[in-house]
Amino acid sequence: MKGTYLGELEELILLTVGVLYENAYGVAIKDEIEKQVGRKLNISAVHAVLKRLEDKALINSSMGGATSERGGRRKRLFTLTTLGKKALEQANEVRSQLYNQIPKVALQFNTY
Amino acid sequence: MMSSPPKWADRFLEWYCNPDLLEEVQGDAHELYQSRLQKEGKASANRKFIWDVFRFFRWSNIKRRKKSYPSKSFIMFKSYLIVGFRNALRHRLNSTINIVGLSIALGMAITAFIFIDNQTHADFFHEKMDRIYQVTNRIETDGRLDNWSDSPMLLGPSLSKDQASVEATTRIEYNNGALRYNETVFSEWIWFVDPEFMDIFSFPVLSGNAKSLENKTEIILVKEVAEKYFGKTNPIGQSVSIKFDNDHKIEFTVGAVIERPDGSSLYPSVLISMAIFEDLKPRKANDWAYQTDGTFVLLKPSHSPSELFEAMEGYKKIQNAASPQWLIKDFQFYPLKGLNLESADIISSVSNGANPAGLISLGVIAGLLLLLASFNYMNVSVATVATRLKEIGIRKVIGGQKKEIIQQFLLENFLLCAASLVIGCLLAYIFFLPGFNSLYPVNIPFAFSSGNAVFFFFGSLLLFIGLVSGGYPAFYIASFTPINIMRGREKFGQRSLFSRILLTLQFVLAFMTIVGAFVFIDNSLYLKNKDWGYNHSQILSVPVGDKANYLALRDKLADNPNIAMMAGSSNHIGYSNTRATFVFHEQRFETVDFRVGFNYLETMNIRLKEGRFFDRNIQSDKIESVIINETFADKLGWDNPVSEYFEFDSLRRYVIGVVKDFHYEGFYNNLDPVLFRIVPEDDIHYLTVQVKGGHLNETQDQIKSAWSGIAPDDPYEGFLQDEVFENFNNDNNANVKLLGFISGVTVILASLGLFGLVSFNITRRMKEFSIRKVFGALMPHIFKLMSRDYVWILMAAFLIGAPAGFFVTNILIQNIYPDPQPATPVPFIIAVSVMLAVVILTVTSQMRRIIRNNPAQTLRNE
Repeated sequence: MKGTYLGELEELILLTVGVLYENAYGVAIKDEIEKQVGRKLNISAVHAVLKRLEDKALINSSMGGATSERGGRRKRLFTLTTLGKKALEQANEVRSQLYNQIPKVALQFNTY
Repeated sequence: MMSSPPKWADRFLEWYCNPDLLEEVQGDAHELYQSRLQKEGKASANRKFIWDVFRFFRWSNIKRRKKSYPSKSFIMFKSYLIVGFRNALRHRLNSTINIVGLSIALGMAITAFIFIDNQTHADFFHEKMDRIYQVTNRIETDGRLDNWSDSPMLLGPSLSKDQASVEATTRIEYNNGALRYNETVFSEWIWFVDPEFMDIFSFPVLSGNAKSLENKTEIILVKEVAEKYFGKTNPIGQSVSIKFDNDHKIEFTVGAVIERPDGSSLYPSVLISMAIFEDLKPRKANDWAYQTDGTFVLLKPSHSPSELFEAMEGYKKIQNAASPQWLIKDFQFYPLKGLNLESADIISSVSNGANPAGLISLGVIAGLLLLLASFNYMNVSVATVATRLKEIGIRKVIGGQKKEIIQQFLLENFLLCAASLVIGCLLAYIFFLPGFNSLYPVNIPFAFSSGNAVFFFFGSLLLFIGLVSGGYPAFYIASFTPINIMRGREKFGQRSLFSRILLTLQFVLAFMTIVGAFVFIDNSLYLKNKDWGYNHSQILSVPVGDKANYLALRDKLADNPNIAMMAGSSNHIGYSNTRATFVFHEQRFETVDFRVGFNYLETMNIRLKEGRFFDRNIQSDKIESVIINETFADKLGWDNPVSEYFEFDSLRRYVIGVVKDFHYEGFYNNLDPVLFRIVPEDDIHYLTVQVKGGHLNETQDQIKSAWSGIAPDDPYEGFLQDEVFENFNNDNNANVKLLGFISGVTVILASLGLFGLVSFNITRRMKEFSIRKVFGALMPHIFKLMSRDYVWILMAAFLIGAPAGFFVTNILIQNIYPDPQPATPVPFIIAVSVMLAVVILTVTSQMRRIIRNNPAQTLRNE
């Protein structure tokens, strides 16, 4: 099914939402990815992906946490849904499963 | 101090961004700006902010999501509508039956309501209505109290002069007169009124001056009369003349034209000042003994007529002293509000209105028809609901609540009722009300007395039929358990007791109306052909005005070979009945007093019972002889009336003959004592002619041309004696037509309901009948099977409905006519045969479906 497929950026952002736990919102996610992965994202791209994830019911959102830098505007805070957590586990599983199937030899080409 | 991002970019963001998303988007953008401002400086932060704003410019941020999704109830509402509509289409026949039946019943109910509304709100256009009262006389005659509109001539002026609580009074005095404008002459009904008439009543003045009557040379015309004389030209200021009965001719100037609104129960047509009457008949105008035709009083605000009761006692004494012939018991004050409905109880009432009994029975009939149509509807919808059991089951399984199912069915029902209401309105507007207006001498507009009346009437009508017709199916169906429906355990609509009771009720109502209507029609036909007590078919009569005209016309017609006999009279049987009272053995009696010339009784074909008619050669006949009718003799208790005597009009009168009772007015009232006496030729106003057989029309033309030679200025007003009960006969015919129509509608409604039910039952039992056919059942057998239920229902309904209808109608008839026909079996026979015919027709028309049906087709698709 098309809906359940997770894109690379989607997976990255979904993971970050998980990492930031209760403090995941647009700017924080962007900063976190920049800091941990070193990848520069435009804030609008982050918003778009978050929206897509929410449509796929992988994350939930609520409004809250106004600050003065934001001119008193509230943030949209995201949390993982059960489905989101499952999707992450699945992705992780698929990845490690595939990774574990790689013949040892293939990983040892450096020794030549 | 915090600096802020470029204003224009921020505004641009605010402009395009979906307001629902703006807070988070703008918040993020601003947060980034602030952090860049510290790290990278203002220029870079500004640049990047602008970039972000442009990058946010995407469709997902721009598009406005609908503020709110349509609520669940709205979605369900839509679903109900669609399902209901599809269902109505699927059962096209039944839906049509329902809508047609309901529409007709509603149309008639609306018409009845408009009529009742009109009658109960008559005269509401008078601004001072609440303060206007009519003063009537109560007189005791024959041991009963009669209310007379006629009241002393001088009462009105005395009241306005002496009583502080009276603001104004007006008298109304009728007179006939020939109104002439140039060459146009018609006989008009003239009202002499006091100038205050126009202040007390609020007849709208279309042109001219409302105060015209203060000038006694001015005249006020009602619009219709003005149009008759002046057409489109302006009548104001034109001069007209009126010739009164004693040959006085008076010139007037038209001072104003007024309108007589539809709601008016008073019918003025020509108004002139009472001062003219005082000039014409000064003796009568200043006499307490003279009775004018009506007196109206306008009280000052917040005064009540009870304040006048004491003063009225004084007036009563003056009045009774002045005319010992006409002793009154007391005065009554009738408020103008509702006066039209009392008009039947006030003798010679100025106000005109329907008999309340008629209004009530009309309302009851309309209500019964509505009930009938609602039962029809309920019955058919209960039957068809069986085909919707699965739908209901599924709705419940999916999560539909009982409440929602009820809502669904009630909603469907209300929509259907609303549609019927609209069609019913159209029917009432196009057919029923105009039909009603053409039947009776009324002109009722399609209008309501107030917006509230419309709102409450239509609201409650819709609520009533909506709940009565849809309530039971809705509540009953909603209580089914889905599991039973799905397993096919609910056998709904199959010979259910309830639907049989409904059908029975429906036919009870149908029988009630049919029997009732036919009892009434039967009686009306009987009255139409009832003997008047004399042969009236060859008699015609001409109002001649005065002695000169009478003698001239008599001489001219003397040698006409077509004329068998003729006579003069001062008043005339059926056309102008004068009432008087006399005292006999200290008891007061009322009598109809005919003042006639010699030969009048013979000319009129009045039948002599004993004694003799008047004789020209007997001197005493001109003075003291009277001829009485049988009722007269009975009332006075005379076994041998001839040569009995009594005191009347200050003379001792000797009875010389007794005539058989005859009818001098319609059949609404009991016969009163009647006496005939001879008048001198000076007092003769009518010439009555008995024509030889077969020459009626020819003679009428001859008299007409003779009249125009004698009195070219006066309109010819001759009439056939057959026509004197015209009003009564018109009423009677109208009743026959109306009731015929109502019973027709009832039969149609009942048969529609039966048709729907039978056709549905046949559809449902088609397989059963097919199997029977396969096994060789004959048509008569199936027919018997099919109609068995209905025959029992019909019989039960007849046994309940027919006597009930007869009973109710009989009460009504006894109330209206004093001398109704004894009951005959005819109405019952008609009712039974009509209903039987309807049932047989309905069932057989549906039987054709079974006959034509090929059993293989019905049975195969299993």
